[in-house]
Amino acid sequence: MKIYLLPSDNLFDFVLKLAEDGSVFYPKLEDRATHLVRFDKDKKFEPDFTHIRTAETVKHILFPSRDVVATFPKDEKRKGEKQFLLGVKACDLRGVEVYDRVFLKTDPVDPFYRLKRENTLIISADCPEPDDYCFCNLVGLHPYGETVCDINITEVSNGFVFEPVSPQGEKLVQAHAKLFEEASADDLKEREKLRREAQKTLGKVNEKEFSKDLPDRVESSDRRTMHKARENCVECYGCLHCCPTCYCFLLSDFKKAKTVERVRTWDACYYPAYARVGGGANPRSNLDERFWNRFNCKFNYFHKYEGIYACAGCGRCYRGCSGKIDIREILWQW
Amino acid sequence: MAMVNPYYPIPIKIKKIIPETPTITTFILDGKPMQFEAGQFMELTVPGIGEAPFTPSSSPYADDLEFTIMKVGRVTSSLFSCKEGDTVGVRGPFGKPYPLDKFRGKEIYIVGGGVGFAPLRSLFLALLHNIKDYKKLYIRYGARTPEDIVYRRLLPEWENTKGVDIVLTVDVGNNSWKGNVGVVTVILDDIPVDVAKSPAIVCGPPIMLKFVTQRLIEAGFNHDSIYLSMESNMSCGIGKCNHCRIGEYYVCKDGPVLTWDEIKHIEEPFV
Ligand SMILES: Cc1cc2nc3c(=O)[nH]c(=O)nc-3n(C[C@H](O)[C@H](O)[C@H](O)COP(=O)(O)OP(=O)(O)OC[C@H]3O[C@@H](n4cnc5c(N)ncnc54)[C@H](O)[C@@H]3O)c2cc1C
Ligand code: SF4
Ligand code: SF4
Ligand code: FES
Repeated sequence: MKIYLLPSDNLFDFVLKLAEDGSVFYPKLEDRATHLVRFDKDKKFEPDFTHIRTAETVKHILFPSRDVVATFPKDEKRKGEKQFLLGVKACDLRGVEVYDRVFLKTDPVDPFYRLKRENTLIISADCPEPDDYCFCNLVGLHPYGETVCDINITEVSNGFVFEPVSPQGEKLVQAHAKLFEEASADDLKEREKLRREAQKTLGKVNEKEFSKDLPDRVESSDRRTMHKARENCVECYGCLHCCPTCYCFLLSDFKKAKTVERVRTWDACYYPAYARVGGGANPRSNLDERFWNRFNCKFNYFHKYEGIYACAGCGRCYRGCSGKIDIREILWQW
Repeated sequence: MAMVNPYYPIPIKIKKIIPETPTITTFILDGKPMQFEAGQFMELTVPGIGEAPFTPSSSPYADDLEFTIMKVGRVTSSLFSCKEGDTVGVRGPFGKPYPLDKFRGKEIYIVGGGVGFAPLRSLFLALLHNIKDYKKLYIRYGARTPEDIVYRRLLPEWENTKGVDIVLTVDVGNNSWKGNVGVVTVILDDIPVDVAKSPAIVCGPPIMLKFVTQRLIEAGFNHDSIYLSMESNMSCGIGKCNHCRIGEYYVCKDGPVLTWDEIKHIEEPFV
């Protein structure tokens, strides 16, 4: 597909056009971190494509932490709303890729995820400045969007290099063709340079690769050895709730005046009662076992079935960890 | 395109309630909103309380869905306070059925414990429906006490059916009990089937699964012919929520029945 340039001055107009069709979410720097915020044409628009992924994952948007998934006795229909995710980083695209496989690939598909996903256009952005928490390079990713997204953009001196990845992405650029130019050889050269540097940074931060046979090593490891790895864990489970690839959920029913709502909430496999069965028996009553299970889920089972890790290398679980447990240190040991 | 909501339970009335033992009751629902095959399970909703997974205990060929349920906790207790005529919800069926085509022409060795007889009854009735297709059906069943034996009301008829061989045992007998006493493995000492060719099908509490599996392996059943109903925590039933995971399997999708061959590499597969 052709590669375009959106001159810097046209970005606002472009986003304004998108906002006519639906909600637009973009990264904004607040204090020291970027956050995923909703575009409001009456507020100052200061997107930040330089810093790493936003603190919030896009899972909040595609797979909300709380969602009514059925009403009883009569179910209600839901309508989709068009939305645009602007500036999503490669790691969060891995999250979407995991959800696509979990929710859409096998029957029955999840109609709620599907409705949101089908109404969402993803415009990812390069990461020129990976930081010390990033390790997307260790889980098979480059710090820019190559799949899953509809368009990937790179901020260069003249504006934004727009590379459509899906037919919908191409269509979107065509629909606003007046705002775009063709990207020049210099624009693309600059993009290459930025990408090389970003990858160099990632290589320096993460000098060691994970073992080639990581899945088998995780599987054959002794779950008791997890005890040392999780020694500093204070059991807040923040690492799982902030994770863009974790997809565990729980259904619970709530009585309303005349109906019952079935609500889906995010769940996390570290909770002691997560696997407890009727009557009280618990196959993973010990945190060591639950730790081991998480690593198997992400780096063994998912890989076995899907050929990719259910980890994006985004580093959120480490950044937010009260016990400063670096997931890489655990993985490097295997 | 209209899309079926897999989380929505279809409302259905309870037609009849039959207490089987002090802790186990059969709920006959008014109709069968969906077809199922023996071995598949469903999620049963008590409105406003929640849902839990159960395998129908009725024949897949019957007109009404039946579940035989033991009272153990939150959802099951609420179900036990339901009355005939109350509305519950069902969704499903989920999981894989027993591979009946593989059982054709064979002796079938069925071992159950406690409320584990419920799913096995559905299988048993499905087999009975085409009894000529199978060489012989064996049932070995253990309960805690004579009062805890489920389907006592149905046993005499089954025992008198040609091609069916039933042996029972109880952990603890009483004065009127004339049968075997001891845990279920005591009636597995002498296994009258061609073990190398027959499937063994087991359902019961985890501790029973563990010891019965050991015994069946010892007796010479093929590892891929030992079918085990796996207990696990479930929420979605459709291979999405991750709750039911045992090793690399989603019990709700890859199970709920898995063979010993499939799970033997898992450390402590029985809860
Ligand atoms: C495939 C399959 C088939 C089965 N078939 C049968 C059958 O035919 N007959 C039968 O009697 N049993 C059957 N069971 C077992 C049955 O599902 C359990 O006994 C039942 O789930 C118990 O539910 P409960 O709420 O009464 O028990 P509880 O012990 O109260 O709860 C069961 C589970 O729900 C969780 N839980 C409890 N309260 C909450 C809450 N407030 N929020 C979130 N989670 C909560 C618990 O942690 C526990 O994991 C089957 C199980 C499976 C997996
Ligand atoms: S992990 Fe990679 S893609 Fe994600 S923010 Fe860091 S550099 Fe960017
Ligand atoms: S496990 Fe950690 S690094 Fe991997 S995707 Fe989840 S939060 Fe990011
Ligand atoms: S019950 Fe949700 S994945 Fe099996």
